This record gives sequence, C-alpha cells and structure tokens, in this order.
Amino acid sequence: MAGNVARPNHLASPRGAVTGSIGRVIAYVVLIVIAVAIIYPLVWMTLNGFKSNAELFGDAWGLPTKWRWENFVKAWNLGVVRYLLNSVIVTGASVVTTILFSSLAAYALTRLRIPFAGAITVLLLGGMMLAPTVALIPLFRLIQALHIFDTYWALIILYTAFRIPFTVFLIRAYMITLSREMEDAAIVDGASRWQVFWLVVMPLCRPIIVSAALLQALFAWNEFVFALVFISDTNLKTLPVGLLAMQGRVLSDWPVLFAALTMAAIPMIVLFLLGQRQFIRGLSEGFGK
Amino acid sequence: MSEASRLGRWSMLLWVAPAVVLLAVFVYYPVVDNILLSLYRWDAFSPKDVWVGLDNYVNLAADPVFWSALFNNVAYAVVSVVVQVGGGLTLAAVLEELVHGRLKGFFRTVYFIPAVISLTITGLLFQFIYNPQIGLLNQLLGGLGLGALEHSWLGESATAIWSIIAMSQWQSIGYVMVLFIVAMQRIPRELYEAAYIDGATRPQAFRRITVPLVREMSVLAMIITVSGAFLVFNEVQVMTAGGPNNSSHTLGTWLYKSAFFNDQMGYAAAIAVVIFLITITVSIVQLFLNRGKVVQY
Amino acid sequence: MNVGSETELKEENVRTTIRAKRPISRFLALAMTAGLVLAACSGSATPAPTPAPSPSGPAASTEPAASPSPSPAAELEGTISFLHKYSDPRYAPYFESVVAAYMAAHPKVTIQIQAESDQGVKDKLRILAASKQLPDIYFSWAGDFTKKFVRGELAKDLTADVTGAWKDSFTPAALDAYTYDGKLYGVPITLDAKYMAYNTKLFADNGVAVPTNLAELLAACDTFKAKGIEPIAFGNQYGWPAIHYLTQLNPYFVPAATLQKDYDPATGEFTDPGYQKALEAFADVNTHCLTKGANGISHEAAQAQFLAGKSAMHYLEAVEFFALTEKGGAPAALAANWDFFQLPAPASPAGDAGYLTGAPDGFLVNPNSQHLDIAIDFLKFLTNADNAAKLVADLGWLSPITGSATAANTFPQNVTVIENINKAKGMAIWLDTVTQIDVANAYLNGAQAMLDGTKTPAQVMDDVRAAAAKAKAESQ
Repeated sequence: MAGNVARPNHLASPRGAVTGSIGRVIAYVVLIVIAVAIIYPLVWMTLNGFKSNAELFGDAWGLPTKWRWENFVKAWNLGVVRYLLNSVIVTGASVVTTILFSSLAAYALTRLRIPFAGAITVLLLGGMMLAPTVALIPLFRLIQALHIFDTYWALIILYTAFRIPFTVFLIRAYMITLSREMEDAAIVDGASRWQVFWLVVMPLCRPIIVSAALLQALFAWNEFVFALVFISDTNLKTLPVGLLAMQGRVLSDWPVLFAALTMAAIPMIVLFLLGQRQFIRGLSEGFGK
Repeated sequence: MSEASRLGRWSMLLWVAPAVVLLAVFVYYPVVDNILLSLYRWDAFSPKDVWVGLDNYVNLAADPVFWSALFNNVAYAVVSVVVQVGGGLTLAAVLEELVHGRLKGFFRTVYFIPAVISLTITGLLFQFIYNPQIGLLNQLLGGLGLGALEHSWLGESATAIWSIIAMSQWQSIGYVMVLFIVAMQRIPRELYEAAYIDGATRPQAFRRITVPLVREMSVLAMIITVSGAFLVFNEVQVMTAGGPNNSSHTLGTWLYKSAFFNDQMGYAAAIAVVIFLITITVSIVQLFLNRGKVVQY
Repeated sequence: MNVGSETELKEENVRTTIRAKRPISRFLALAMTAGLVLAACSGSATPAPTPAPSPSGPAASTEPAASPSPSPAAELEGTISFLHKYSDPRYAPYFESVVAAYMAAHPKVTIQIQAESDQGVKDKLRILAASKQLPDIYFSWAGDFTKKFVRGELAKDLTADVTGAWKDSFTPAALDAYTYDGKLYGVPITLDAKYMAYNTKLFADNGVAVPTNLAELLAACDTFKAKGIEPIAFGNQYGWPAIHYLTQLNPYFVPAATLQKDYDPATGEFTDPGYQKALEAFADVNTHCLTKGANGISHEAAQAQFLAGKSAMHYLEAVEFFALTEKGGAPAALAANWDFFQLPAPASPAGDAGYLTGAPDGFLVNPNSQHLDIAIDFLKFLTNADNAAKLVADLGWLSPITGSATAANTFPQNVTVIENINKAKGMAIWLDTVTQIDVANAYLNGAQAMLDGTKTPAQVMDDVRAAAAKAKAESQ
C-alpha cells in the first residue's frame, strides 16, 4: 500500500511559504496545542481521582498532595466492578451474535442465489437509516410484552438488531471483492455451502471481521439509551448507566466519581491501543472501497 | 428448476433469516408502531389510551421547545461538519504531509483516544470542566487574564448547548481525522510529485488533489456527522438533561423527557416520527449526492 | 480510482489472510458459546421482580377498594421488591440493615432493594410504571406526584391497613400528606421541613441579626456582600432548589384557600396577583443574596461552600441537617456555629406566615403485588419505634413516629425542628410535586429562566396559567 512505504522526499518539493521552516513550525505548534487540548482533560480526570474533596474544591490545577488509592477502591466497590462485568457480558454476547448473523446474511447475499435477494439487501442495509432513539417508545411495549425487560437479553437482542445493517454493509462489501478461486476449488472438492462458509470464506474475511467486531464492541460498550430505559436493576446496569447512577449517589464525594470515570475509561483505551493496527486497517478495508 | 434445487433455494433463506427477523421485529416494526402511538394521548399512569388524532402534531408545531430542539440539532450538524469534516480533513492532510514515522502514529493515537471513551464518561468529565467555580475552563480563562469571559457554561441558556457541542467536537475530531488519513493513504504519491514538479504549493495540491480524491470519504464522514447530530442524546442527557429552561434540549432528549418526565408518551412518539423523517431524508439526500461523478485523472 | 492499485491490494489481502491460517470458526464458536453461556447464567441469576407464588398464607385481595390485607397469621413467605431514592452511600446502609433485620426475622421472605438517586427516581418510576413493573413497595413524593399513581390505580388504598396502634404512632400531619379524598395511600417515613441555616459566627462577627422579615433578609445579604462574603450559597442544577424558595413564598403572598384551589389540577387557575408578587420576591432574593450562575452549580456543591465557611447562609431541608454536624462530617468550625430560621415572610403578608415548607417522604404499595401481606408488614416494621429511633440516630433524619426523636438520640437543632413543625399552621408541600406535572414544569423552567435573566416574573406566570389551563382541560 502506497501509504505505508516511506515517502521519497527528495524527489520533488512544493514551493511556497507553507513548506518553509516557518510553516513547518507553525504546523507543529498547532498539532501540539491540539494534542494537549485533547489529552489534558483526561489527565485532569485521572489526577482528580487521587485528590481529596477539599483539594478538589480548593485547587483545581494542582497535583494531589497524597495519592489516595482508596478513592479507587471505594469506586470499585460502590459498583464499578459490577457495571464493568455487565458491560463485558452484554458487549461480548452482542459482538458474537452480530458478527454471526451478519456474516451469514452477507455470505448468502453475495454467494447464494436466494429468492428476493434484492429486497432483502435493501431491507438489511436500509436499517442503517433507522435509529434507536426513534424506536424507543414502541420498543418499550414490545420488550415488556416479550418479558425481557430488565434482563441482559433485552440489550443483547437490541444491540444486535440495530447493528446488523452496518455490519452487513461492511462484511458484504468485503466479500464482494474477494476472489472466488478458493471457494470454487473447495466446492469442486465436494464441500457443502456451510463448510465453504466456515472453513474458507470466514478465514479470508478475518480483517473485516476483526474490524467489525471492534466497531460493534465500541458501540455496545458505550450504548446509553437502551441501557438506561430497559435495565432497572442496579446489579444489571452497564457501565454508562451505572456511572450516571453513581454521579447521583456520590453527590458530595467527587474524587470517587473521578476515580470511577478513570477506571471506566481504561478498558476501551487499552483495547484500542492494543488493536490499533487491526482497527485502522479494518477501517481502511471497509471504507476504502 | 428441479424440485431439489427449488427447495435448496428456499432453504438458503435460513442464512438471512436471523438478521431479517431481528430487523423486522425490532427495527422496522417500531417505526410503524410509532406512527400509531403518536395518534393517542397516553402515559405511564393512564389506564387507557385516548385517541387524539393529529393533536400531538399540532401541539408539536406550536411547541417552542420542539423548535428550539430542532435548531439545536441543526446547529450540532453544522458545527460538526465544519469542525469535524473540515477540520479533520485539514488535520489529516497536515499530519500526512508534514509529520512522519513514529511521531505521526503518536499524534494519530492521541487524537483518536477520546472517540473510544464513552460519552457518559466524557459528559460527566466536561460537566466538571464547565463548572463555574472549580472547573478547568473558568480557571484557565482566569489564569490567562480573560476572567471577563467566565460563564456558568452549562447553567446559562445562551451557552449551554454550545458548550455541549464543543465537547462533542473534542470527542470526535480525531475519529474523522483517522478516516481521512485512511482515505489519503490510497492516493498515489506520484500525483503529488507531478504537481510539485509543475510548481504547485502545498495548499494548491491539497485543494486540487487531496480534496477531490477523498470525496467518497468526505461524503461518508458527512453522513456520519450529520445523522449523528440529529440523534444526539447521551451527552446532552448526562450534562444538562436539556436544561436550563429547556434550552439545551435536542430532539432525542426532548423525546425522553416528554415520555418519562412530562407523562406524554403519545407526544414523544410524535417527536420520534419527526426524527425518523428527518434522518431518512438526510440519508437519502446524501446517498443521492454520492452518486455524483467519479473523479478522473 | 486507480484500477491498478486496487487489484494489487485485493490480491495482497487474499495472500496475507491465507497465510494467517487461523480458522476463525473455532474462535467464533468458542466466543459464541462463552458469551451465550455467560449471558444466560448471569441473566437468570438476578431475576426480574416477578415473585414466586406463596402457597401458605391466605390469598391477598387486589381490589383497589379499601379492603384490609389479611393479618399474617400464617408465616410470611415470598419475595418482594422495594424501591427507594436513597442510593447515597450515607443513607443506603440504614435501609439495607432494616431489610436484613426483617429477613432475619422472617426467614422465608426475601426483599430485593432497588436504590435510586433523588433525580434518577423521577424517570425511573415512570419507566417502571409504563412497563407495568412497579415494585411492590416504591417511593413517592406527596402531592400530585402520588395522586398520579392513585389516578392510574397503581397505589393501594391503605386506609384499612394502617389502623389502631400503628396509625396512632404517627404525627397526624404526616399521614395527611398522603391522604386524598379521605383515603390514605402512603406510609410516611420521614418528617421534613425547609429552613435557612446560617453561620452564627459570621453573623456575630459582622453584626447581623437574624432577619424577621424579607426586607431584613435582603439587608443582611447586602451587608455580607459588602464584606465580600457570599450571602446565600445556592446551586440550582436540577431546578428544585429554586422551587423550594417559591414553595415558601407562595403561601406568604396568596391566601391558603386560593392556594389549595389552584394546586388542584381540576380547579387550578393561578390568577391571584400574589403569585407574581411571590416570583418578584424571589427575584429580589436572587439579586441580593443568591450565588450567581446557580443553574450550573449543584445543590451539594453550594452546600460544600457553606460547610467550608465561605458563605453566611444556605437553604436546605431538615433531613440534611446531619451533614452540618460533626458526626455527619462537617468541619468543626461550622458544626459548632450554626443555627436555622424559617425563610422570613414580608412585613405584612397577604397570605399566612404560619405555613412551613416541608413534606414527609413516604412509600406507596403496588395494588397488583402478589404479596400485599409482606409489603404491609414490612412497612409496619420499617416504621416501628425501634427503627424510627434508629433512623433518627443513624441518619439524623426526623421520623413521623411521635417520640422517636429526643434530646438523647439526636442533635439539639433537630429537637427544635420538631417543636417548630408542631407549631406551624400547616405544611406547604414542594411546589414541583404538589402540582400537576405541566404546572410544575412551568415553574421549574420559569425559575431557571429567571435566574438566567431570560424571563420576567410576568412571563413565568403566563406560562404557569397556560399550563394550569391545559391541566384543567385534561383532567375533565
């Protein structure tokens, strides 16, 4: 890929002021200032978790005098551990179901000659234009009628349903461009459609699946509206809703809230840092076409 | 077609069945149900629904909060396009052109991080940053000698929604920037070489080469930011819940408040129908625009 | 797009992914099983509040008419859910311990606690009501807030359940707050009133006396302001703190009978000029006394300023007094130097200066509960003498159970509060819960707008009257 190779700068240089060293310096300064503006709030948030209430009120800029880890322990016990666990369960399950149903559908639409293929494609992709907020009130009655109110299932099912369109879009676009040599070879060798799907096509789709899984995880982990409305039991709340509830509880002990926020932000940041390559690469595979 | 293969074709529907069923029941059916629900007046406490026909829509049109919320969503969309798409594109170009190697990766990572953090976390964090007494922003302004600019950012009708919009840009500009970086990396370097040899400046190269060739990505980025702008809920709910005096409501939070605070579920359903119409129109319009000419070079 | 590079890319992808070789199917299958197993396990470990059937014990009646629940002659058995708004870590332990004690005394009973925050319970209750998942026992504010549940047939008539010695143990005014059309619907557990706490040292040092009317209050504020001390620490983030001022001012400017008529959605008009005068009085208080930019400051943050000795006064509820004591965590400098007074009335009030803002907190019972017997019995337990005394001692609250608060188990200011409440002509229930929701919203938003400078008292009253008209129309 052209972009990953080091650019031969010596070949040709543009003329003009912007390229001169002044232009370069200004550009760097701007970049750095923006980077600081982006990172500093997060640093502030973390430092505040170590302060005492009085310090927080007295001196917003300063460093904490003592590193109060007990704030973090308190936040953990007040519910962060429970909320984290719930988020992991709901996110994990919905990632699996979304990827599974979406790849099945994408494969069928691109490889099998199913009846009503056109209509189904429009149905599945058109769902991207419909948003959770719009469906909130009717879903209310529906979830209650299905007796899944206040359960993990409500969220898992909804997260899957609302993300299938986008995931199908990604996987389908990728599958369309896959060369069919290997599949044809497998079919000639006598493999069933199912086997071709699992053993040939899915491994080939690994990049887009990883990217789709990461994007789905990001969505489910941070989803708010459904989690707010359909989960009532404190023990089942996912992280975003739990944190909001925590804000209502620790009305007078703010460092504990900051500690909770910091702990809650870490998993996704770590996941992103670890999976950055796949994530960006997946984005380029999915969007670059 | 033989009996066997016809059966085979229909059994292939099983592949798409889970996806189709889930979508039909949980995504499409609610849209229809919404329209029905908006024709009644009902709430959590009313023993039965009362038919009111189009009353909810009439009230909607006369409701100043609805229009203010709509305005807020539009403001959100406009600012997001300018800052995230325009700014993101520019930042991406600067990063790609002027920074290389490890440093580029560093900046890219740093800018992107806010986008992976939950809006609840950033919302609560910025609630503190905007706090008039101990928040970072007022302290910063005071420290820079700009004390006169200090406000109760989330507490004044004039500044509340703009403060939230600003937070949203902080959160998402890195995300859009990375999308553009991805798109820019596909542009063959030779084009730039040729232009520079012909005597172009960097800004000219940016305008004539970069911008047209990332057109697809620009459209995609605009679709994401504009539809996102009309669906805003999380950050507003967390930071101000629509206040003060309903000034920072967006259509989403006004829907929620109508349903779960003001005991007006039918009215909320009407708002949902409006949101639906707007987002559908926005998607269709932008899809249409995307069918424009492909750049040849 | 450059065709050449695209095909290059495609082939490269296929080549690299084949080289990767790890069959994704295995990973997916594992993850899927794990995910679904985890989800199923955890999902079922915490059941939704559908209680198990109770074979023993007589069947509970579920008619909305006043029929007494059967006395628990047989042993109580079953699970009930209990929703309260005291998730604050300072208060939650008390309820947990009472529930634990009850469950220990009744081994076959399980009580599931749902703890919400003060603001969070407002939408949570509606969500639960709309999805027909109201807990067996749930919190509700007095006023139209409870009446909503009554109208929706979601609150059990408790007149026949709260009788005899149990009934007599309550202060009558507390039961009145939850009585509508002669029927009792709620069980109160606290007594509460709103007072202006003041820093006695700051007052003494600056030669300020306790104000006896509004004009004196404004003058006192001016004195403090001149000395660079914040007169009244005020934070209005969710809108109700401003409402509490209005709750007290309205009865001062409007005759009691008119108030009663207007607060009832079926007859509310708000045409008395006193209402606007009350708003104007609030505007005056704001100009002279209140913290600027209060809409963006929480009530608790303002309280922190008062605790730190940075402001002279703070308007808060008697249930919050505990936070001003040393046992409750206040700095010694404040804990030893505070007292309180009722928000003063204007010199010659058109209304009645004897009305005090305040209302009990209480719980309602879901008439569709499968275990009415357990619910009522638990409420009886919660409000018995021992637990009431524990409430006073542990939380510093006041209980409606007479005799629960004495000089022995609580701080001196609390004892004064009880005397004060008993002397009051009547209680004025919080304006945002006593009125119908549209009227409440008109006041909430209006007050915020006034603090913002975007609305005048006259405009706010226009909104209130319009809302009252709408409420009247809907109640027909």
